[in-house]
Amino acid sequence: MNFLSENLGLLLQALGTTVMMAVVAGIGSLILGVLVTVARVSPIPILRWAAFCYTQFFINVPLLALLILAVFALPDAGLILPLAPTAILVLTVYEAAYVAEAVRSGVNTVGVGQVEAGRALGLSLGQSFRFIVIPQALRAVVQPLGNVMIALAMNTALAAAVGVVELTSRANKVNLVYAQPIEIFTTTGLVYMAIALIIGLGAGWIEKRVAIVR
Amino acid sequence: MTRKNQSSFLYETPGPRGRRNIRIGTAISVVALGGMLGLGLWRFGSHGQLDADKWLPFADWAIWQYLLVGLGGTLTAAAVVAALGSVFGVVLALGRLSKVRVIRWLATGYIEVARTIPVLLLIYMMLFGLPQLGINFPTLWKLVIPLTIANAAVFAEIVRAGILSLPNGQSEAALSLGLRPHQTMRLVVLPQAIRNVLPSLVSQLVSLIKDTSLGFIVAFTELLYRGQVLSTFNHLLIQTFLVVTLIYLVFNGSLTALASRLQKPGRRRSPIPLSLTALAGPIDTFQKEPRA
Amino acid sequence: MSASTPLRRKTVLAGAALAAFALALTACSTGSANVPGGSSDDTGSEASLFAGAPVASDDLILPGSTMEKIKERGHLIVGEALDAPLLSQQDPTNPDSVTGFDADLAKLLAIYILGEPNVEIVPPASETREALLANGTVDVVFNTYTITEERAEQISFAGPYFSSGLAVAVKADNEDIKGIDDLGDKTVIVGANTPAVLAVPEEQPTATLVDFATDPQAVQALLQGRGDAYVQDYTLLASHAESNDDLKVVGQPFTSEPYGIGLGHGDADFKEFINNWLLEIQESGHWGDVWTTSLGTVVESDVPTPPTIGSVPGS
Repeated sequence: MNFLSENLGLLLQALGTTVMMAVVAGIGSLILGVLVTVARVSPIPILRWAAFCYTQFFINVPLLALLILAVFALPDAGLILPLAPTAILVLTVYEAAYVAEAVRSGVNTVGVGQVEAGRALGLSLGQSFRFIVIPQALRAVVQPLGNVMIALAMNTALAAAVGVVELTSRANKVNLVYAQPIEIFTTTGLVYMAIALIIGLGAGWIEKRVAIVR
Repeated sequence: MTRKNQSSFLYETPGPRGRRNIRIGTAISVVALGGMLGLGLWRFGSHGQLDADKWLPFADWAIWQYLLVGLGGTLTAAAVVAALGSVFGVVLALGRLSKVRVIRWLATGYIEVARTIPVLLLIYMMLFGLPQLGINFPTLWKLVIPLTIANAAVFAEIVRAGILSLPNGQSEAALSLGLRPHQTMRLVVLPQAIRNVLPSLVSQLVSLIKDTSLGFIVAFTELLYRGQVLSTFNHLLIQTFLVVTLIYLVFNGSLTALASRLQKPGRRRSPIPLSLTALAGPIDTFQKEPRA
Repeated sequence: MSASTPLRRKTVLAGAALAAFALALTACSTGSANVPGGSSDDTGSEASLFAGAPVASDDLILPGSTMEKIKERGHLIVGEALDAPLLSQQDPTNPDSVTGFDADLAKLLAIYILGEPNVEIVPPASETREALLANGTVDVVFNTYTITEERAEQISFAGPYFSSGLAVAVKADNEDIKGIDDLGDKTVIVGANTPAVLAVPEEQPTATLVDFATDPQAVQALLQGRGDAYVQDYTLLASHAESNDDLKVVGQPFTSEPYGIGLGHGDADFKEFINNWLLEIQESGHWGDVWTTSLGTVVESDVPTPPTIGSVPGS
């Protein structure tokens, strides 16, 4: 498998880009997603409506179309970034919608009694969100969130279509030179599977530690 | 006062101070959101992207026809994948529930592998790998086969969740009536299971329609690729892709709305949000599935 | 469980309406881009372009050859783009019409073999042209396909049929870059899978390359400042410079790109056949006419002399 030995540096660098994109977008989407959920369940109707539109938009529009728009239309709306950060931004915003949906279902599993007890103790809405609702909601949906993160890691491959040199695009370029698609793409596939496995195991470990035993 | 918001158990019916705070919050949100939107639009316009001459070409019905035929291609591919994938998916789901260990392992193994490979990679493998083996497919299949491989696994998980969520009593009653196991599955369990997870299946269809945009890569006549060709023709990259995004939004949005109406009304506890059942594994709040 | 409640009935109706709409679209989409034969909808100008185009006599169609196979099939399958302006661009208002230098030459070849411009187009995606030829998915490739010796090991080339070169374009207000020599250490935009990907590093190893899938995307990227310069085929750049004041071409073409017609490896009969055809259309003036109506619309010069067939290693 000489393609591996001769291109190891480039491939590892590309893998680093992939992992970096997945991690940054992952953290970003988790934070943004929770914020969107808070808006979605807040008492302010405008915020609820805005959050609803947000999630509906990103759930119904393909990621590839969004990437193309972000790379070519955003600069004219005032935001120009290098390609990789643009891709990370799009991935963050896109997956945040899925995170928001997951956390919202988690919020709905929080017992009414919890919230009422918080109110009885005099906690404000913001405080009850911060200390009661969101922590329990997150702990209830560790598994679906893990799946969202896996989907995110897989979606970093799409950035290849807009020119970001990450693992899939590097594998494609290497294949153009060596013309051994079966070996090259199978190896790449195994790497992605390993990434997904790590995320899945991580989610499982986190879940065991924070699971709410009802 | 009726509770319209599903999550409104989080706060009491607001009193005067609460209402005032909500009004303040609303005002701030409107200013903030409106401000951001307005700023973006203004900058967009100042680059000339909102000029009439850039948008007038889209008043031409022929252009819409061109794009809508592309949407037709999208739907064709999605339909084929849905048909093949659902059959394959049911087989896989049954395999995963089989009592025979080897079959169970094979099915589980396939599902786990197919769900963790990026579809783009599968497409590249088809584009480059198969011709080397001398196999060649028409463009439609270059898109459909990788999508089917990936989506069958997701369908399988959804169907399996549906089967497992059915009360045991159903299959027990069927067996006690003298039905063989495969008859039980075919006549009693599967129909009910699929009916239960129909919203999830429709949501997965939306996800599938989005995935067909990867036909862009294999130059299959679907919406995004047609948008690309149109953009090279009219040199209006931004406007074209905005229109394409709008078409996706409208069509998929209708499907998503349809899916949420299919959900049984009257359950206060929100079931798995539709968008999530597609990629999330089967997780039922009351019936935790240990991850294999 | 029957659809009894009003809500369910409405839902079922909505679903049926959506499904009907989808079905209608699906029905319309069969027989779209890859439709053989563009002659029915041709405008008058296209009909006159192909008037009097040479048709091969029957003795040239050797038994058992690729030409005979094509003749029996009734249409020529060509690997060419749908989104390359001036070269092979599909007209969305009339999807059966694909025009441009490469597209029209392909139609002339179809006329030569079949008597009618019956062409089925298969757009090559992601650098799969060798694969498409190797397993017979397409008969020929007309896709600004530069003749190289490496490629000639996997497939055969007829021609060259056109000689072009890569040039440099920059934003109109850029005074620093005057040509390829000024591109050291700069960010250079290139089209993915174009000859520029290899040519620029050869001339300027220190330049950073950014690639984009299509020409309009690359132009947009240049105008938005994602790169200092854009290296692409000279004629394409000239067409952009003419329609867009924000862009200008600097310097002269710095490479020579011979375009060849890709065909299956080792098919000597077909290669000779196509080379004969090239000579005929060059003599009859059709080659020049095709050039004038496509690339010639943006380049201010007379019809160039076509390159000598077989003059490039690999052809």
